Amino acid sequence: MKEQNKLSIILKGLLLENPVFVLVLGTCPTLATTTSVIGALSMGLAAAAVLICSNVVISLLGKLIPDKVRIPCYIVIIAGFVTLVQMLMHAYLPELYELLGIYLALITVNCIILGRAEMFASKNGVLESALDGVGMGLGFTLALLAMATVREVFGNGSFAGFAIPFLENYRIDFLIKPPGGFLIFGVMIAIVNAATKCKAIKKKDFGCEGCPSASVCRAKPCAAADENLTTKVGNTQKEEK
Amino acid sequence: MKKSIQSIVTLTLICVVISALLAAVNFVTAPIIEKAEAQKANEALLVVMPNGKDFKELSVSDYELPSSVVNLYSEESGGYIFKMVTTGYSSGLTVMCGIDKDGKVTGAVCLASGETLGYEKTYGENFKGLDASAADGIDTISGATKTTSAYKNAIKDALNSFIIVNGGSVDIRTEEEILADNLSVALPNGANFAKEFITEVLDGVSAIYKAGNGEGFVVVSGEKFIGIDKSGNVIGENEGEIKALALSALEKHKNSTHSEIDISSYEGISERIEKAYKTESGNYIFDLAAAGYGINGSYHASGEYIRIKVSATQDGKIISCLTVSQNETEGIGSECAKPSYYEQYNGKTENTISEVDAIGGATLTSRGYSTAVSKVFEAIKILKGAN
Repeated sequence: MKEQNKLSIILKGLLLENPVFVLVLGTCPTLATTTSVIGALSMGLAAAAVLICSNVVISLLGKLIPDKVRIPCYIVIIAGFVTLVQMLMHAYLPELYELLGIYLALITVNCIILGRAEMFASKNGVLESALDGVGMGLGFTLALLAMATVREVFGNGSFAGFAIPFLENYRIDFLIKPPGGFLIFGVMIAIVNAATKCKAIKKKDFGCEGCPSASVCRAKPCAAADENLTTKVGNTQKEEK
Repeated sequence: MKKSIQSIVTLTLICVVISALLAAVNFVTAPIIEKAEAQKANEALLVVMPNGKDFKELSVSDYELPSSVVNLYSEESGGYIFKMVTTGYSSGLTVMCGIDKDGKVTGAVCLASGETLGYEKTYGENFKGLDASAADGIDTISGATKTTSAYKNAIKDALNSFIIVNGGSVDIRTEEEILADNLSVALPNGANFAKEFITEVLDGVSAIYKAGNGEGFVVVSGEKFIGIDKSGNVIGENEGEIKALALSALEKHKNSTHSEIDISSYEGISERIEKAYKTESGNYIFDLAAAGYGINGSYHASGEYIRIKVSATQDGKIISCLTVSQNETEGIGSECAKPSYYEQYNGKTENTISEVDAIGGATLTSRGYSTAVSKVFEAIKILKGAN
């Protein structure tokens, strides 16, 4: 049973609690770096690396960090890892470093990372936090990849830089521009919602019940529902009750 | 209190640990990054000097170089590489040029540009292996005159800079500065020189300048500038022949008189011609109103004609062309008011007028201008035939 739980920690990040399409976190890099598949993939992996590392460190330090200064502490840790990734990429992957530009440094303020630190890592064990980082990181990467694929294939007539014979002559320029990004973003959210039959987000009310982060959030209003909520989502646990 | 101290200590500790970690990583990556950056800069240098070794950047401010030169690199064997930023069709035309120890161009490439036609991408190849005098002979490309002449000037700046960094001296004045210097040397008392509109055929004389302060004239013959003061004496030491030539040309120019022709009594004269005059010597002078962007433009057109003055011989050869007034688009069509444009028409005939280069980006202005000027040839035939 415990194994199952660990697997579900990873899996939930992929779809049911996908950080981009369900939690709607990290929208800025999502829109900005999904004009090319390579850019999206490297952005996703860089963010995933930072996320896993910061999750592990924050869960390790969880009890040592005083509540009052937890956000500054998290930010320092996250910024440290981002700078680390930045320096390593600049040294060993200079092309990707230039491709991502400012968005690499902006991973620091990517709310997925701070969000997971605050919502998950600070309250769970090291292994769970690492797995959550893997799941959320992969979910972020997959989401970016899906969006970038649509935008690059139809907007630029290519995939990962390789031209696609027919589509190359019929580019929809609009898709690689910011408005096209918003459009695809909205459509993707709709598709994810439809695919999960609204299990991911079912907003019956605007309280904690409807919140996709409810499963990990331990804010007071959620406390009541909290006991058997650790791994399951939204309305499903209601039926179990 | 205890909690506050705990908070401060924890945050400080985290900061210290993270900083130490970053410092450690930086220790490893910084040399790699530095090497890669230097490599990248070197790659651009190697393109213009494939055999170059051990490039070093020198400070541009240590030398008095032409203002377009922004970067300067030395090479082991005595060659130099110069980076110039200039303005062709638009600003930001960046050219890098390598020159070997013998003063020959080893390569020239355009690093960045906002030009429209793309000639800057390949134009540099023409200069490969040439020295300063041979580089001067490379033609600009018609249709992309602005881009290629700016490019060529950048190469010239590099070649001049090469002489300067090797301890030589070069005239790095602009054409306007050279002209102003020549004029004031020829007529030291003169100031505010203005070019005269010439209505007579003056053999051997290319231009006459009048001092705005009434101190006299400067006659230009080939490379020579001959100053003639207000009492009609030639200034400075000039050979007798050229002295006589200058004096007679100025005399002819000053004595030229003309009277208006009533063009309404002739049929078929273009409406672009507003007034026509005939000089005693039989040349014609026309006042033209050209319909440029001001008339035909679709957006923010001023509604004004370009006023042009043209003098021509009876045989249909333009003596002088001058833009009197215009209200074309500032910075684009307004180029038609510059001598570099309208002086192109000097000496042109009906058959050669098409050689005049249009103003880049100002199709309507150029078309209107040349159409108006070309009506002159037709008008001369009509006026002459009636006589």
